[in-house]
Amino acid sequence: MLKLHNLKMRYPNGDGLDGVNLEVRNGEFVYLVGPTGAGKTSVLKLIYMEEFPDEGYVLVDEYSSQDIRDKEIPYLRRKLGIIFQDFKLLEDRDVFENVAFVLRVTGARSRDIKKKTLRALGEVGLSHKSRKMPEELSGGEQQRVAIARAIVNEPFILLADEPTGNLDPKTAVEILSLLDKLNARGTAVLMATHNYELVNNTSKRIVSIKNGRTLN
Amino acid sequence: MSLFFVLREGFGGLRHSRFSGFVATATVAISLILIGIFLIITVNLGKFVQFLRSRVELEVFLDDSFDEIKIQDLTDEIKRMEGVANLTFISKEMAIREFQNLFKDKQEDYFETLGYNPLPASFRVKLQDNYRTASGAEVVFKSLSSLEDIREEDIVYTREYLVILEKYIKFAIAIDFIVGIIVCLSALLLVSNNIRLIILSKNKIIETMKLVGATNFFIRTPLFIQGIVQGFLGGIISALFLYTLLKLAAIEIPGFISVDWRIYLLLANLGILLGFAGSFAAVRRYL
Ligand SMILES: Nc1ncnc2c1ncn2[C@@H]1O[C@H](COP(=O)(O)OP(=O)(O)OP(=O)(O)O)[C@@H](O)[C@H]1O
Ligand SMILES: [Mg+2]
Repeated sequence: MLKLHNLKMRYPNGDGLDGVNLEVRNGEFVYLVGPTGAGKTSVLKLIYMEEFPDEGYVLVDEYSSQDIRDKEIPYLRRKLGIIFQDFKLLEDRDVFENVAFVLRVTGARSRDIKKKTLRALGEVGLSHKSRKMPEELSGGEQQRVAIARAIVNEPFILLADEPTGNLDPKTAVEILSLLDKLNARGTAVLMATHNYELVNNTSKRIVSIKNGRTLN
Repeated sequence: MSLFFVLREGFGGLRHSRFSGFVATATVAISLILIGIFLIITVNLGKFVQFLRSRVELEVFLDDSFDEIKIQDLTDEIKRMEGVANLTFISKEMAIREFQNLFKDKQEDYFETLGYNPLPASFRVKLQDNYRTASGAEVVFKSLSSLEDIREEDIVYTREYLVILEKYIKFAIAIDFIVGIIVCLSALLLVSNNIRLIILSKNKIIETMKLVGATNFFIRTPLFIQGIVQGFLGGIISALFLYTLLKLAAIEIPGFISVDWRIYLLLANLGILLGFAGSFAAVRRYL
């Protein structure tokens, strides 16, 4: 369960959020839509607690922004899968290792690592490219690797910040249907985008954000 | 937590980030070579100065009329003097032998023709370490000349040599000091630049590790291992480089430069320290 309540936050330069309310129930798919600079990325940062609100609070399962300790933040993040517009893959290792990385740095047992990594790569349809380097893949494939990395730890929610921003329309649709498929299997999704066309005729819930405020 | 992963990531990082790793190692090596050269020069300069100063001595010539008792008294008195380390008595016979040794290529024996020994007996007075300076020697000179039956003109020492020596030593120390500052500053500059490079090259992997929920231990340890290994490699390279350099130099100027092997140990350790400091700074920047 994810809940943002009356969030306010200022960056030192005065920009920021000014009243964000949002709830995502387990298994739900929600679009966070708003123009550039509206505060979508900031909202996601508050969720994975890269930033903290000045007012209001964020609840992610048992973790609350009000009383989480620094040491607990890694454990909070293991409950989330995060993907970005620019994929953020590690260029120094292959697809398999990019995905396995999550399990390794969170101390998984080695016999689970192979199984889980291959399963995640299977989910995104990239089993056959597991030994390729990221630079050998197309943008859409790279984003699928990023998605595999995000789901390998079986998070309850995927946070996607403009995941199709760098992709052509056809590939973007493929990524969206992949997120859809994952959602159908029970993972909640919160996807931020400024692309209204993308959400024009969706049946999913849409939350609008403008000037740091969510509208209802 | 798998220690294995941390180690693998640490050593794997060396393989993965080959270019930045190479630059980091080279930087450490160059800094340490500079520092090493400076240390070797300083140590050898110090030894050379000590050697020059150790040659400082005063010679007191004795009148032929002094008997054994008189000479024994003088010996005791001089030994007790402030600034005197030890003294050697050179008898008239020893003085002749020294003279003959000095000029042994000459066939004629002047003293044979002369029929008597014209060389006086003398004391050679060695000074304590901290009196081996122009002013120190002057103090001992004063005490010696105040002795009964010893006149100032009986005492010989290389006053001018000392004054000039002093001047050059001061000059050399000043130069060495300036060079030291320059070397330290450039090493500092190189290393801080290196740290910036490490920070830049680690930025992405640290960010990713944080995002996927790695604990600080998992982020830090591999980077520390990497930094330490790179620093150690840099230290070894600088030690090998200096060793080779000195071997070549010794062919040119045999016996001039001497190096304590511990300097290599020092360099390797300094390398580890620098490498660790670099990764420590990188980690602090992002954690
Ligand atoms: N680190 C920061 N420091 C200062 N201001 C920031 C920072 N990050 C974002 N901002 C500002 O906060 C506001 C919201 O930014 P945010 O990145 O959340 O918008 P966004 O909706 O994600 O925009 P986009 O669609 O372009 O990604 C903007 O005015 C932005 O300039
Ligand atoms: Mg954004």
